[in-house]
Amino acid sequence: MVERRVVITNRLGLHARAAAQLVRTATRFQSFVRVERIDGSANADAKSILSVLMLAAAHGVELRLTAEGDDEREAIEELSSLFAGGFGEREP
Amino acid sequence: MTEKTDSKAADAEKSGRVAGVIVTHGHLASELLAAAEMIVGNVSHIAAVSIGWHDDVEVAHNEVERAMTRVSEGNGVLLLTDMFGGTPTNIASMFLAEGQVEVVTGVNLPMVIKLASQTERESLAEVAKRVRNQGQEGIYLAGDLLSPQKKS
Repeated sequence: MVERRVVITNRLGLHARAAAQLVRTATRFQSFVRVERIDGSANADAKSILSVLMLAAAHGVELRLTAEGDDEREAIEELSSLFAGGFGEREP
Repeated sequence: MTEKTDSKAADAEKSGRVAGVIVTHGHLASELLAAAEMIVGNVSHIAAVSIGWHDDVEVAHNEVERAMTRVSEGNGVLLLTDMFGGTPTNIASMFLAEGQVEVVTGVNLPMVIKLASQTERESLAEVAKRVRNQGQEGIYLAGDLLSPQKKS
């Protein structure tokens, strides 16, 4: 299992569009992928949009990504790059 | 390349999904479906039927029937209506048939998303229950969530 800490950098947080992008990316991998709040207050299956939205993760929130499976490294790389890139959103 | 193969495999898995028809007053149905499509993408197994305030019941009934035929993938159709007791629900209820057609009332966006993103094959009864539960679980008083874990 691999894990990585990420911070939500885009202004709108993990809203519907960003969450959808996360789920679409996670679904491409075989590994089980989870997203959880660093404080442990909530965690989600990264392949379920409704589960990810329940994290209610706003701008600045720290999350832990974990992946377990044959392609766990690729999965964690791609997913963390989504966070690093602010889900493609431009700062105003 | 692997990406393409994967998405094809995903498409094949998606056949035989439980289909859905959203039936509401006014244009709620099509707007709910449009919002769900923006979020999850593929909603080809779901249709929207809007019933006007002055529409003839017979006409509306036929329209729902046509929509059901259009989206059905052979694994049952779930009718999602806006309000228990309303005309859309009453019309939808005429189609109730165990194992083939189920009705769930009080449709909201999480319910449509749940129906749109079926990851495994399940029976109509199972999907209907999941959709109902998702709808109920998606309702929060946001204030209640904030109070126990106040942020600095």
